[in-house]
Amino acid sequence: MCVRRRREWNTKSGAAPHDGGMKIRTVALAGALLALAACEGGPQSALAPAGTDAAQIARIFWVMLIAAAILWIALNGLFAFVTRIHPRPISRRIAETLIIGGGIVLPLILLGTLLTWGLRAMPDQRAPGDGLTVRVGGEQWWWRVEYLPADGGPPVRSANEVRLPAGLRTDIELSAALVIHSFWIPALGGKMDMIPGRVNRMSLAPTEPGTYRGQCAEFCGLSHALMALNAVVLPADEFDAWLSAEAAEADPPDGPGADLFAREGCGGCHAIRGTEWQAQVGPDLTHVGGRTSLAAGILPMTEEALAGWIRNPDAIKPGAEMPGYDHLSPEELTTLARWLMELT
Amino acid sequence: MAERKQLHREFSEELSSLWRIAIAPSVWAIHFVASYGLAAVWCAKWSDATLLGDVSAWRVLICGASVVALGIIGWIGWKAWRQWDFLEDWDYTHPLATEEDRHEFLGHAAFLLAVLSAVGVIATTLPALLISTCT
Repeated sequence: MCVRRRREWNTKSGAAPHDGGMKIRTVALAGALLALAACEGGPQSALAPAGTDAAQIARIFWVMLIAAAILWIALNGLFAFVTRIHPRPISRRIAETLIIGGGIVLPLILLGTLLTWGLRAMPDQRAPGDGLTVRVGGEQWWWRVEYLPADGGPPVRSANEVRLPAGLRTDIELSAALVIHSFWIPALGGKMDMIPGRVNRMSLAPTEPGTYRGQCAEFCGLSHALMALNAVVLPADEFDAWLSAEAAEADPPDGPGADLFAREGCGGCHAIRGTEWQAQVGPDLTHVGGRTSLAAGILPMTEEALAGWIRNPDAIKPGAEMPGYDHLSPEELTTLARWLMELT
Repeated sequence: MAERKQLHREFSEELSSLWRIAIAPSVWAIHFVASYGLAAVWCAKWSDATLLGDVSAWRVLICGASVVALGIIGWIGWKAWRQWDFLEDWDYTHPLATEEDRHEFLGHAAFLLAVLSAVGVIATTLPALLISTCT
C-alpha cells in the first residue's frame, strides 16, 4: 500500500517528496567520506598507524566498522524484504525464529565475539617496555617531559615534545598538576587520562620514524585546544645520540641575549641546565631551540614565532600563565629569541 | 468481600513467582557491584597477591563469584522455564486473564530475565578473564 502511494506521488510531482533531504544526505555522506579520506596519512591520524599499538587500534576500528556495516545492511535488507519485497504475513514459527535468532542469538554471538576480541587488545596496549621510561606531566597548557634512561642514568628534563626510539617499547608514566588532561598521539597508540594525584601507565611501540602530532584529549581549560605536542620517532641509534645530547647541559653564549634573559627575570620561571637558572615553574628551556615546535605544538620553532610569543603569550594561547613582555623593543625581542634559538 | 478474598488468594499464590523474577537480576546487580568493588579495592591494597599459582587473586575471586552467580541464575532460569509451561502441555502462550496464564507469563518473564542476567554476569566477568593486570 505504502509503495503504491509513493509511486503515485512520484508520478504527480515528478520527484520523490523527500528529494531535497536525499540530496542533503548524499552530500553529507560524501563530505564525511572525504573528511575520513583526509585523515588518512595525516600526522595525527589513528587511521595511519606508525606504531604497534595504533595498528592494533586501527585494525579493531576497521573490523568493528565492517561488522557494524554488515549488521546494518543485513537488518535493513531484512526490513525491506518483509515490508517492501515480500509484504505478506509470515508464520509464527518463522517470526519467532527471526526474533530469537536475529534479535537474541545472533547479536549475542556477534557482540560477544567482538567484545572478547576487543578486550584482549587492552593488556597489549600497556605491555611492559624495553627499558626507557618517559614521564609526561600535564600543565595548563603545556607538557612536562622527563626521560628515565634504560641504563638507570639520571632523569633528562625537557618539555612540550616527546622523542621515542623506533622498534622499541617505551613505558609512559602520566600525571597532571591541577586538572585532568589526556595524552593522545593517535598515530602511535591509544589515549590515556592524566589525573592529578596519581600516575597512569601506558606504553608505546612506534615502528616508523617520523614526526607525529599529539593532542590533549580531555578538556582542561581555556586553551585546551591549543595544548598539543610533537612526537618525534627516531631510529634507535639516533635516539640514543639525541638523548645523550639532550642530557648535556646548555652552553649559552654570553651577550645581550643572556643579559636580557637575566634582566627580565625569565629565570624566575624557566630552567636552563648549566646556568644559575633552575626554576621549574614553566617549561625547561635547556635545549629549546632544538625542538620541532613552540608553545606546545602550535607554532613553528622560528625566531619570529618565539619573539611574538614572548611579546604576548596570551594573544597566542589565551589564559597562559606567562606574562607578556610587550615593553621590550622589537630589536630586544629578536635578540632574546635569537639567543634562545641557539640553545640546541 | 468474597471477590476481594479471591483476588488476594490469587496474588498470594504468585508471591514466589515475583521472587523468581527479582532474584536473577538481583544476583547480576550484586555480582556487578562486588566485581568492580573487589577489583578496585584489591588492586589498590594488595595488587601483588596471587591465588592458584601466579594468577592475580582478584581475577580468581571474580571468576569464582561468576560461577556461583551463574549457578544461581541457571537454577532460577530452569525453575522459570518449567513455570512458563506450568502444565507441561507444550503451551508457551498465555494471552488470557486466567490463573494459569498469569502464572505462565510470570515464568516466561522470569526466564527471559534469567537469560539477560546470565549474559550480564558473563560480560562483567570478561574483563577479569582477559585483562590480566591491575594497572
